[in-house]
Amino acid sequence: MRRFLIGAILALTAVLPGIALAEDQTRIDRLEQELRDLKQENQEIKKRLDGVAAESEETRDSFGRISSFVNISGYADAEFYLTDNDSDNAHFRVRHLSLFFIKDIQKEWRLFSEIEYEDAPFVESEHTTDDPGTVQGKLLVEQMYVEYHPELDWNVRAGRFITPAGLWNIYHYPPYVPTQTRPLMVRRIFPQVSDGVQLMYSFTAGESVVDTHLYVANGAGNPGRLDRNEEKAWGARAHLQQGSHGLGASVYREIDNVDILRNAFGLHYLWDFSPFRFQTEYQYRQNSPDTGSDFIDRGFYAQLTYDIGKWTLAARYDWYDPNGSQPQADIFRYTGAVNYHFAYNVVGKAEYNRNVFEDSTEDYNEVILAIVVAIGDL
Amino acid sequence: MYRLPRILILFFAAFFAAAPAAALSETIAIIVNRDNPQKALSRDEIRRIYTNSVLEWSDGTPVAIYDLSVDDPVREVFSGRVLRKAPSKVAQEWAHLKITNQAKNPPTAVKSESIIIRRIAREKGAIGYVSLSSVEGNPEVRIVNTIQ
Repeated sequence: MRRFLIGAILALTAVLPGIALAEDQTRIDRLEQELRDLKQENQEIKKRLDGVAAESEETRDSFGRISSFVNISGYADAEFYLTDNDSDNAHFRVRHLSLFFIKDIQKEWRLFSEIEYEDAPFVESEHTTDDPGTVQGKLLVEQMYVEYHPELDWNVRAGRFITPAGLWNIYHYPPYVPTQTRPLMVRRIFPQVSDGVQLMYSFTAGESVVDTHLYVANGAGNPGRLDRNEEKAWGARAHLQQGSHGLGASVYREIDNVDILRNAFGLHYLWDFSPFRFQTEYQYRQNSPDTGSDFIDRGFYAQLTYDIGKWTLAARYDWYDPNGSQPQADIFRYTGAVNYHFAYNVVGKAEYNRNVFEDSTEDYNEVILAIVVAIGDL
Repeated sequence: MYRLPRILILFFAAFFAAAPAAALSETIAIIVNRDNPQKALSRDEIRRIYTNSVLEWSDGTPVAIYDLSVDDPVREVFSGRVLRKAPSKVAQEWAHLKITNQAKNPPTAVKSESIIIRRIAREKGAIGYVSLSSVEGNPEVRIVNTIQ
Protein backbone atom coordinates (compact mmCIF):
# COMPACT_ATOMS: atom_id res chain seq x y z
CA MET A 1 0.00 0.00 0.00
CA ARG A 2 2.75 2.39 0.90
CA ARG A 3 4.53 1.44 -2.29
CA PHE A 4 1.37 2.09 -4.29
CA LEU A 5 0.94 5.51 -2.70
CA ILE A 6 4.55 6.46 -3.37
CA GLY A 7 4.15 5.27 -6.96
CA ALA A 8 0.96 7.29 -7.40
CA ILE A 9 2.54 10.42 -5.96
CA LEU A 10 5.56 10.04 -8.22
CA ALA A 11 3.32 9.53 -11.28
CA LEU A 12 1.23 12.59 -10.42
CA THR A 13 4.39 14.67 -9.90
CA ALA A 14 5.56 13.69 -13.35
CA VAL A 15 2.22 14.24 -15.18
CA LEU A 16 0.83 17.40 -13.48
CA PRO A 17 3.48 19.89 -14.73
CA GLY A 18 2.90 18.55 -18.24
CA ILE A 19 -0.83 19.22 -17.93
CA ALA A 20 -0.12 22.67 -16.51
CA LEU A 21 2.35 23.41 -19.31
CA ALA A 22 -0.11 22.31 -21.95
CA GLU A 23 -2.73 24.61 -20.45
CA ASP A 24 -0.23 27.51 -20.39
CA GLN A 25 0.68 26.86 -24.04
CA THR A 26 -2.98 26.91 -25.07
CA ARG A 27 -3.43 30.19 -23.20
CA ILE A 28 -0.35 31.69 -24.88
CA ASP A 29 -1.60 30.56 -28.30
CA ARG A 30 -4.96 32.11 -27.60
CA LEU A 31 -3.34 35.35 -26.47
CA GLU A 32 -1.12 35.40 -29.54
CA GLN A 33 -4.13 34.90 -31.79
CA GLU A 34 -5.94 37.73 -30.01
CA LEU A 35 -2.90 39.93 -30.46
CA ARG A 36 -2.78 39.15 -34.18
CA ASP A 37 -6.50 39.91 -34.49
CA LEU A 38 -6.01 43.20 -32.65
CA LYS A 39 -3.09 44.13 -34.88
CA GLN A 40 -5.10 43.40 -38.00
CA GLU A 41 -8.04 45.35 -36.65
CA ASN A 42 -5.71 48.19 -35.81
CA GLN A 43 -4.29 48.20 -39.33
CA GLU A 44 -7.75 48.22 -40.84
CA ILE A 45 -8.80 51.12 -38.63
CA LYS A 46 -5.59 52.95 -39.56
CA LYS A 47 -6.26 52.37 -43.25
CA ARG A 48 -9.82 53.57 -42.86
CA LEU A 49 -8.68 56.68 -40.99
CA ASP A 50 -6.09 57.32 -43.70
CA GLY A 51 -8.81 57.05 -46.30
CA VAL A 52 -11.01 59.49 -44.39
CA ALA A 53 -8.10 61.93 -44.05
CA ALA A 54 -7.28 61.57 -47.75
CA GLU A 55 -10.90 62.12 -48.73
CA SER A 56 -11.18 65.19 -46.56
CA GLU A 57 -7.95 66.60 -47.99
CA GLU A 58 -9.14 65.93 -51.52
CA THR A 59 -12.42 67.63 -50.76
CA ARG A 60 -10.58 70.60 -49.31
CA ASP A 61 -8.26 70.62 -52.33
CA SER A 62 -11.11 70.54 -54.84
CA PHE A 63 -12.96 73.18 -52.90
CA GLY A 64 -9.81 75.33 -52.83
CA ARG A 65 -9.42 74.99 -56.58
CA ILE A 66 -13.04 75.72 -57.32
CA SER A 67 -13.21 78.63 -54.94
CA SER A 68 -9.90 80.24 -55.88
CA PHE A 69 -10.84 83.04 -58.20
CA VAL A 70 -7.37 84.33 -59.04
CA ASN A 71 -4.06 82.93 -57.88
CA ILE A 72 -2.05 85.72 -56.26
CA SER A 73 1.66 85.30 -55.68
CA GLY A 74 4.77 87.43 -55.91
CA TYR A 75 7.80 88.60 -54.05
CA ALA A 76 9.09 91.51 -52.01
CA ASP A 77 12.50 92.68 -50.91
CA ALA A 78 14.05 95.38 -48.79
CA GLU A 79 17.74 96.22 -48.72
CA PHE A 80 20.42 98.36 -47.19
CA TYR A 81 22.87 99.79 -49.68
CA LEU A 82 26.32 101.04 -48.77
CA THR A 83 28.81 102.55 -51.21
CA ASP A 84 31.93 104.68 -51.50
CA ASN A 85 30.68 106.10 -54.80
CA ASP A 86 30.82 109.92 -54.52
CA SER A 87 27.56 110.34 -56.42
CA ASP A 88 25.57 108.10 -54.10
CA ASN A 89 25.13 107.52 -50.40
CA ALA A 90 24.18 104.75 -48.01
CA HIS A 91 20.44 104.16 -47.87
CA PHE A 92 17.64 101.75 -47.15
CA ARG A 93 15.59 100.76 -50.14
CA VAL A 94 12.14 99.20 -50.26
CA ARG A 95 13.04 97.78 -53.60
CA HIS A 96 10.33 95.53 -54.97
CA LEU A 97 6.80 94.54 -54.29
CA SER A 98 5.81 92.46 -57.27
CA LEU A 99 2.42 90.83 -57.44
CA PHE A 100 1.45 88.13 -59.88
CA PHE A 101 -2.20 87.66 -60.69
CA ILE A 102 -2.73 84.39 -62.52
CA LYS A 103 -6.05 83.05 -63.62
CA ASP A 104 -6.56 79.72 -65.33
CA ILE A 105 -9.62 80.09 -67.50
CA GLN A 106 -10.96 76.66 -68.29
CA LYS A 107 -8.23 74.24 -69.33
CA GLU A 108 -6.52 75.98 -72.20
CA TRP A 109 -6.54 79.67 -71.38
CA ARG A 110 -4.64 81.59 -68.79
CA LEU A 111 -4.22 85.23 -67.82
CA PHE A 112 -0.77 85.95 -66.46
CA SER A 113 0.11 89.36 -65.07
CA GLU A 114 2.79 90.94 -62.94
CA ILE A 115 2.37 94.34 -61.36
CA GLU A 116 5.54 95.74 -59.94
CA TYR A 117 5.78 98.49 -57.35
CA GLU A 118 9.43 99.49 -57.34
CA ASP A 119 10.87 101.72 -54.64
CA ALA A 120 7.51 101.93 -52.88
CA PRO A 121 5.75 104.43 -55.18
CA PHE A 122 4.36 107.54 -53.58
CA VAL A 123 1.88 109.52 -55.62
CA GLU A 124 -0.59 111.85 -53.97
CA SER A 125 -2.72 114.00 -56.24
CA GLU A 126 -3.59 116.59 -53.59
CA HIS A 127 0.01 117.68 -53.25
CA THR A 128 0.09 119.40 -56.60
CA THR A 129 2.91 121.65 -55.46
CA ASP A 130 5.27 118.71 -55.13
CA ASP A 131 8.13 118.95 -57.55
CA PRO A 132 9.04 115.84 -59.55
CA GLY A 133 11.93 115.21 -57.20
CA THR A 134 9.58 114.34 -54.38
CA VAL A 135 7.62 111.81 -56.41
CA GLN A 136 9.24 108.47 -55.86
CA GLY A 137 9.06 104.92 -57.05
CA LYS A 138 7.77 103.20 -60.14
CA LEU A 139 4.54 101.40 -60.85
CA LEU A 140 4.91 99.04 -63.77
CA VAL A 141 2.85 96.41 -65.52
CA GLU A 142 5.84 94.19 -66.11
CA GLN A 143 3.83 91.40 -67.70
CA MET A 144 0.26 91.02 -68.82
CA TYR A 145 -0.63 88.47 -71.41
CA VAL A 146 -3.31 86.04 -72.38
CA GLU A 147 -1.96 82.57 -72.95
CA TYR A 148 -3.47 79.80 -75.02
CA HIS A 149 -2.01 76.35 -74.32
CA PRO A 150 -3.94 73.49 -75.92
CA GLU A 151 -1.03 71.11 -75.20
CA LEU A 152 1.71 71.09 -72.58
CA ASP A 153 4.40 71.49 -75.23
CA TRP A 154 3.27 74.66 -76.95
CA ASN A 155 1.54 77.92 -76.18
CA VAL A 156 0.84 81.34 -77.65
CA ARG A 157 1.02 84.50 -75.58
CA ALA A 158 -0.36 87.88 -76.55
CA GLY A 159 0.31 91.02 -74.54
CA ARG A 160 3.39 92.14 -72.63
CA PHE A 161 5.92 89.49 -71.72
CA ILE A 162 9.47 89.29 -70.47
CA THR A 163 11.63 89.27 -73.61
CA PRO A 164 12.76 85.66 -74.00
CA ALA A 165 16.51 86.14 -74.28
CA GLY A 166 19.36 84.29 -72.59
CA LEU A 167 19.00 83.16 -69.00
CA TRP A 168 19.01 86.14 -66.67
CA ASN A 169 16.39 88.08 -68.54
CA ILE A 170 13.88 85.28 -67.91
CA TYR A 171 15.10 83.77 -64.65
CA HIS A 172 15.91 86.87 -62.63
CA TYR A 173 13.53 87.01 -59.68
CA PRO A 174 15.24 88.08 -56.44
CA PRO A 175 14.10 85.17 -54.24
CA TYR A 176 15.79 82.74 -56.64
CA VAL A 177 18.95 84.49 -57.82
CA PRO A 178 21.93 85.00 -55.52
CA THR A 179 22.46 88.72 -56.10
CA GLN A 180 20.35 91.85 -55.92
CA THR A 181 22.24 93.43 -58.81
CA ARG A 182 21.79 92.05 -62.30
CA PRO A 183 24.67 91.54 -64.73
CA LEU A 184 25.66 94.83 -66.38
CA MET A 185 24.59 93.94 -69.93
CA VAL A 186 21.14 92.64 -68.98
CA ARG A 187 18.33 94.88 -70.32
CA ARG A 188 20.85 96.96 -72.27
CA ILE A 189 21.26 94.73 -75.32
CA PHE A 190 17.94 92.86 -75.31
CA PRO A 191 14.91 94.79 -73.98
CA GLN A 192 13.46 93.84 -70.60
CA VAL A 193 9.89 93.40 -71.87
CA SER A 194 8.19 93.20 -75.24
CA ASP A 195 4.63 94.04 -76.28
CA GLY A 196 3.49 91.62 -78.95
CA VAL A 197 2.79 87.97 -79.67
CA GLN A 198 4.97 85.04 -78.72
CA LEU A 199 4.92 81.37 -79.70
CA MET A 200 6.62 78.86 -77.43
CA TYR A 201 7.22 75.30 -78.56
CA SER A 202 9.08 72.49 -76.79
CA PHE A 203 10.17 69.18 -78.24
CA THR A 204 12.44 66.32 -77.37
CA ALA A 205 15.38 65.16 -79.44
CA GLY A 206 16.62 61.90 -77.99
CA GLU A 207 17.45 62.58 -74.36
CA SER A 208 17.45 66.35 -74.90
CA VAL A 209 14.65 68.85 -74.53
CA VAL A 210 14.55 71.90 -76.77
CA ASP A 211 12.52 74.97 -75.80
CA THR A 212 11.96 77.55 -78.51
CA HIS A 213 10.42 81.03 -78.48
CA LEU A 214 9.52 83.13 -81.48
CA TYR A 215 7.97 86.58 -81.12
CA VAL A 216 6.97 89.77 -82.88
CA ALA A 217 6.75 92.98 -80.86
CA ASN A 218 6.64 96.77 -81.03
CA GLY A 219 10.34 97.09 -80.28
CA ALA A 220 12.32 98.47 -77.35
CA GLY A 221 10.95 101.63 -75.79
CA ASN A 222 7.48 101.28 -77.31
CA PRO A 223 5.14 100.36 -74.53
CA GLY A 224 1.46 99.77 -75.09
CA ARG A 225 -0.04 101.63 -78.04
CA LEU A 226 2.86 104.09 -78.20
CA ASP A 227 4.65 102.39 -81.07
CA ARG A 228 6.54 105.27 -82.55
CA ASN A 229 7.39 103.74 -85.89
CA GLU A 230 5.95 101.35 -88.47
CA GLU A 231 8.74 98.82 -88.03
CA LYS A 232 8.15 95.81 -85.85
CA ALA A 233 10.80 93.98 -83.90
CA TRP A 234 11.17 90.21 -83.97
CA GLY A 235 13.19 87.82 -81.90
CA ALA A 236 13.78 84.16 -81.16
CA ARG A 237 15.37 82.03 -78.49
CA ALA A 238 16.30 78.36 -78.41
CA HIS A 239 17.48 76.44 -75.38
CA LEU A 240 18.67 72.84 -75.44
CA GLN A 241 18.76 70.95 -72.15
CA GLN A 242 20.74 67.73 -72.04
CA GLY A 243 20.95 66.36 -68.52
CA SER A 244 22.67 68.94 -66.36
CA HIS A 245 23.88 71.00 -69.33
CA GLY A 246 21.86 73.75 -70.96
CA LEU A 247 22.93 75.63 -74.06
CA GLY A 248 21.11 78.26 -76.03
CA ALA A 249 21.05 81.23 -78.37
CA SER A 250 18.91 84.34 -78.75
CA VAL A 251 18.42 86.90 -81.51
CA TYR A 252 16.53 90.20 -81.69
CA ARG A 253 16.15 92.63 -84.57
CA GLU A 254 14.50 96.03 -84.65
CA ILE A 255 14.68 99.50 -86.10
CA ASP A 256 14.30 101.75 -83.10
CA ASN A 257 12.65 105.13 -82.76
CA VAL A 258 15.74 107.05 -83.88
CA ASP A 259 16.12 104.86 -86.98
CA ILE A 260 18.96 102.73 -85.76
CA LEU A 261 18.83 99.17 -87.06
CA ARG A 262 19.78 96.97 -84.13
CA ASN A 263 20.70 93.31 -84.47
CA ALA A 264 21.34 91.59 -81.17
CA PHE A 265 22.71 88.07 -80.65
CA GLY A 266 23.25 86.14 -77.47
CA LEU A 267 24.69 82.82 -76.36
CA HIS A 268 24.14 81.22 -72.99
CA TYR A 269 25.34 78.14 -71.18
CA LEU A 270 24.26 76.55 -67.92
CA TRP A 271 25.81 73.68 -66.01
CA ASP A 272 23.91 72.45 -62.98
CA PHE A 273 26.21 70.00 -61.22
CA SER A 274 24.55 70.18 -57.84
CA PRO A 275 25.62 71.58 -55.40
CA PHE A 276 27.45 73.77 -57.94
CA ARG A 277 25.76 75.74 -60.67
CA PHE A 278 27.55 77.63 -63.37
CA GLN A 279 25.92 80.02 -65.82
CA THR A 280 27.36 82.35 -68.39
CA GLU A 281 26.06 84.60 -71.15
CA TYR A 282 27.56 86.61 -73.96
CA GLN A 283 25.55 89.23 -75.84
CA TYR A 284 26.52 91.31 -78.83
CA ARG A 285 24.64 94.01 -80.71
CA GLN A 286 25.36 95.61 -84.03
CA ASN A 287 23.91 99.14 -84.24
CA SER A 288 23.51 100.68 -87.70
CA PRO A 289 22.25 104.28 -87.66
CA ASP A 290 20.47 105.70 -90.70
CA THR A 291 23.24 108.25 -90.92
CA GLY A 292 26.65 107.87 -89.34
CA SER A 293 28.85 104.89 -88.72
CA ASP A 294 27.97 101.56 -87.17
CA PHE A 295 28.94 100.72 -83.63
CA ILE A 296 28.60 97.71 -81.36
CA ASP A 297 27.84 97.12 -77.72
CA ARG A 298 28.45 93.82 -76.01
CA GLY A 299 28.72 92.17 -72.64
CA PHE A 300 29.58 88.99 -70.82
CA TYR A 301 29.20 87.49 -67.38
CA ALA A 302 30.07 84.20 -65.71
CA GLN A 303 28.56 83.18 -62.39
CA LEU A 304 29.28 80.23 -60.13
CA THR A 305 27.12 79.32 -57.13
CA TYR A 306 27.57 76.68 -54.48
CA ASP A 307 24.77 75.42 -52.21
CA ILE A 308 25.58 74.01 -48.82
CA GLY A 309 22.60 73.35 -46.58
CA LYS A 310 20.78 76.61 -46.08
CA TRP A 311 23.63 78.65 -47.53
CA THR A 312 24.42 79.69 -51.07
CA LEU A 313 27.76 81.20 -52.02
CA ALA A 314 28.11 83.04 -55.32
CA ALA A 315 30.81 84.72 -57.37
CA ARG A 316 30.35 86.59 -60.64
CA TYR A 317 32.55 88.30 -63.17
CA ASP A 318 30.86 90.92 -65.30
CA TRP A 319 31.84 93.05 -68.29
CA TYR A 320 29.94 95.51 -70.45
CA ASP A 321 31.22 97.52 -73.38
CA PRO A 322 28.66 100.17 -74.36
CA ASN A 323 30.53 101.18 -77.49
CA GLY A 324 33.10 98.98 -79.19
CA SER A 325 34.81 101.94 -80.79
CA GLN A 326 35.42 103.57 -77.40
CA PRO A 327 37.41 101.08 -75.29
CA GLN A 328 37.68 103.60 -72.47
CA ALA A 329 33.94 103.18 -71.79
CA ASP A 330 34.19 99.54 -70.65
CA ILE A 331 32.81 98.64 -67.22
CA PHE A 332 33.85 95.61 -65.16
CA ARG A 333 32.29 94.29 -62.00
CA TYR A 334 33.43 91.63 -59.55
CA THR A 335 30.70 90.28 -57.29
CA GLY A 336 30.72 88.02 -54.25
CA ALA A 337 27.53 87.06 -52.41
CA VAL A 338 26.36 84.94 -49.51
CA ASN A 339 22.72 83.89 -49.18
CA TYR A 340 21.06 82.29 -46.19
CA HIS A 341 17.74 80.54 -46.83
CA PHE A 342 15.65 80.96 -43.69
CA ALA A 343 12.97 78.95 -45.50
CA TYR A 344 12.71 77.93 -49.11
CA ASN A 345 10.87 81.17 -49.83
CA VAL A 346 12.71 83.55 -47.45
CA VAL A 347 16.31 84.46 -48.14
CA GLY A 348 18.80 86.87 -46.62
CA LYS A 349 21.56 88.17 -48.89
CA ALA A 350 24.89 89.89 -48.38
CA GLU A 351 26.52 91.07 -51.58
CA TYR A 352 29.72 92.88 -52.42
CA ASN A 353 30.39 94.53 -55.80
CA ARG A 354 33.61 96.07 -57.00
CA ASN A 355 32.94 98.25 -60.04
CA VAL A 356 36.00 98.94 -62.14
CA PHE A 357 36.33 101.51 -64.94
CA GLU A 358 39.06 102.27 -67.46
CA ASP A 359 39.60 105.46 -65.51
CA SER A 360 40.43 104.06 -62.09
CA THR A 361 39.37 107.25 -60.31
CA GLU A 362 35.78 106.24 -61.10
CA ASP A 363 36.06 102.84 -59.40
CA TYR A 364 33.74 102.24 -56.50
CA ASN A 365 32.52 99.50 -54.15
CA GLU A 366 29.03 98.52 -53.05
CA VAL A 367 27.70 96.39 -50.23
CA ILE A 368 24.06 95.31 -50.27
CA LEU A 369 22.26 93.57 -47.42
CA ALA A 370 18.81 92.35 -48.36
CA ILE A 371 15.90 90.29 -47.13
CA VAL A 372 13.71 88.75 -49.82
CA VAL A 373 10.48 86.79 -49.61
CA ALA A 374 8.41 84.94 -52.17
CA ILE A 375 4.70 84.95 -51.42
CA GLY A 376 1.72 82.90 -52.42
CA ASP A 377 1.20 79.44 -53.79
CA LEU A 378 4.47 78.84 -55.64
CA MET B 1 48.43 82.30 -33.23
CA TYR B 2 46.72 79.33 -31.55
CA ARG B 3 43.23 80.79 -31.38
CA LEU B 4 42.63 81.67 -34.98
CA PRO B 5 42.43 78.11 -36.33
CA ARG B 6 40.03 77.22 -33.53
CA ILE B 7 37.77 80.12 -34.39
CA LEU B 8 37.92 79.10 -38.02
CA ILE B 9 37.06 75.51 -37.14
CA LEU B 10 34.10 76.70 -35.05
CA PHE B 11 32.96 78.95 -37.88
CA PHE B 12 33.07 76.15 -40.44
CA ALA B 13 31.42 73.74 -38.02
CA ALA B 14 28.54 76.19 -37.61
CA PHE B 15 28.46 76.83 -41.34
CA PHE B 16 28.26 73.22 -42.39
CA ALA B 17 25.92 72.26 -39.55
CA ALA B 18 23.08 73.43 -41.73
CA ALA B 19 23.78 70.67 -44.29
CA PRO B 20 20.77 68.45 -44.99
CA ALA B 21 20.44 65.51 -42.67
CA ALA B 22 19.93 61.96 -43.88
CA ALA B 23 16.45 60.63 -43.26
CA LEU B 24 14.29 57.53 -43.42
CA SER B 25 15.67 54.11 -44.19
CA GLU B 26 12.43 52.78 -45.70
CA THR B 27 12.31 51.73 -49.35
CA ILE B 28 10.44 54.11 -51.62
CA ALA B 29 8.29 52.91 -54.51
CA ILE B 30 7.78 54.93 -57.68
CA ILE B 31 4.26 54.19 -58.84
CA VAL B 32 2.12 54.77 -61.91
CA ASN B 33 -1.42 53.82 -62.84
CA ARG B 34 -1.89 50.14 -63.66
CA ASP B 35 -2.90 51.04 -67.24
CA ASN B 36 0.26 53.05 -67.84
CA PRO B 37 2.20 51.66 -70.83
CA GLN B 38 5.47 51.97 -68.90
CA LYS B 39 6.47 48.75 -67.16
CA ALA B 40 9.61 50.14 -65.53
CA LEU B 41 11.38 53.49 -65.27
CA SER B 42 15.05 54.16 -64.63
CA ARG B 43 16.15 56.81 -62.13
CA ASP B 44 17.25 59.02 -65.02
CA GLU B 45 13.82 58.77 -66.62
CA ILE B 46 12.15 59.59 -63.31
CA ARG B 47 14.50 62.56 -62.85
CA ARG B 48 13.60 63.86 -66.30
CA ILE B 49 9.89 63.55 -65.57
CA TYR B 50 10.30 65.46 -62.31
CA THR B 51 12.40 68.23 -63.87
CA ASN B 52 10.12 69.72 -66.52
CA SER B 53 11.55 67.58 -69.35
CA VAL B 54 9.00 64.85 -70.11
CA LEU B 55 5.44 65.90 -70.75
CA GLU B 56 3.73 62.74 -72.01
CA TRP B 57 3.96 58.96 -71.87
CA SER B 58 4.80 56.82 -74.89
CA ASP B 59 1.08 56.48 -75.76
CA GLY B 60 0.59 60.25 -75.70
CA THR B 61 -1.15 60.45 -72.32
CA PRO B 62 -0.11 63.67 -70.52
CA VAL B 63 2.06 63.06 -67.46
CA ALA B 64 0.55 64.20 -64.14
CA ILE B 65 3.26 64.49 -61.48
CA TYR B 66 2.60 64.12 -57.77
CA ASP B 67 4.89 65.23 -54.99
CA LEU B 68 4.76 65.25 -51.19
CA SER B 69 5.23 68.33 -48.98
CA VAL B 70 8.71 69.86 -48.83
CA ASP B 71 9.19 68.70 -45.24
CA ASP B 72 8.01 65.11 -45.77
CA PRO B 73 10.78 62.57 -44.97
CA VAL B 74 9.78 60.40 -47.95
CA ARG B 75 10.21 63.39 -50.26
CA GLU B 76 13.57 64.15 -48.70
CA VAL B 77 14.85 60.69 -49.60
CA PHE B 78 13.29 60.76 -53.08
CA SER B 79 14.67 64.22 -53.77
CA GLY B 80 18.16 63.41 -52.55
CA ARG B 81 18.49 60.06 -54.31
CA VAL B 82 16.64 60.70 -57.56
CA LEU B 83 16.85 64.46 -58.15
CA ARG B 84 20.15 64.77 -56.25
CA LYS B 85 19.02 67.96 -54.56
CA ALA B 86 17.40 68.95 -51.29
CA PRO B 87 13.57 69.29 -51.52
CA SER B 88 13.83 72.99 -50.65
CA LYS B 89 16.17 73.55 -53.60
CA VAL B 90 13.85 71.70 -55.96
CA ALA B 91 10.91 73.70 -54.59
CA GLN B 92 12.81 76.94 -55.23
CA GLU B 93 13.53 75.91 -58.81
CA TRP B 94 9.89 75.06 -59.47
CA ALA B 95 8.83 78.33 -57.85
CA HIS B 96 11.19 80.21 -60.16
CA LEU B 97 9.79 78.37 -63.17
CA LYS B 98 6.22 79.07 -62.06
CA ILE B 99 6.85 82.74 -61.32
CA THR B 100 8.31 83.12 -64.82
CA ASN B 101 5.50 81.01 -66.31
CA GLN B 102 8.08 78.63 -67.79
CA ALA B 103 6.89 75.60 -65.82
CA LYS B 104 5.39 73.31 -68.44
CA ASN B 105 4.17 70.56 -66.15
CA PRO B 106 4.77 71.35 -62.48
CA PRO B 107 4.15 68.65 -59.86
CA THR B 108 1.08 68.80 -57.66
CA ALA B 109 2.12 68.66 -54.01
CA VAL B 110 -0.23 66.74 -51.70
CA LYS B 111 -0.06 66.14 -47.99
CA SER B 112 -0.19 62.38 -47.71
CA GLU B 113 0.86 59.20 -49.43
CA SER B 114 -2.75 57.96 -49.38
CA ILE B 115 -3.78 60.82 -51.64
CA ILE B 116 -0.96 60.06 -54.06
CA ILE B 117 -2.04 56.41 -54.22
CA ARG B 118 -5.70 57.33 -54.72
CA ARG B 119 -4.93 59.87 -57.44
CA ILE B 120 -2.61 57.50 -59.28
CA ALA B 121 -5.19 54.73 -59.08
CA ARG B 122 -7.65 57.12 -60.74
CA GLU B 123 -5.52 58.98 -63.32
CA LYS B 124 -3.93 57.06 -66.18
CA GLY B 125 -1.05 59.49 -66.68
CA ALA B 126 -0.17 59.99 -63.02
CA ILE B 127 3.16 59.24 -61.39
CA GLY B 128 4.23 59.57 -57.77
CA TYR B 129 6.33 58.09 -55.02
CA VAL B 130 5.34 56.59 -51.67
CA SER B 131 6.87 54.28 -49.11
CA LEU B 132 6.89 50.70 -50.42
CA SER B 133 4.99 49.30 -47.43
CA SER B 134 2.02 51.58 -48.13
CA VAL B 135 1.50 50.32 -51.66
CA GLU B 136 2.68 46.71 -51.75
CA GLY B 137 -0.01 44.42 -53.09
CA ASN B 138 -2.22 47.28 -54.32
CA PRO B 139 -3.61 46.09 -57.68
CA GLU B 140 -4.62 49.58 -58.84
CA VAL B 141 -1.08 50.91 -59.20
CA ARG B 142 2.15 49.61 -60.67
CA ILE B 143 5.55 49.93 -59.06
CA VAL B 144 8.02 51.00 -61.77
CA ASN B 145 11.09 51.40 -59.59
CA THR B 146 12.12 51.18 -55.96
CA ILE B 147 14.65 53.30 -54.15
CA GLN B 148 16.48 51.94 -51.13
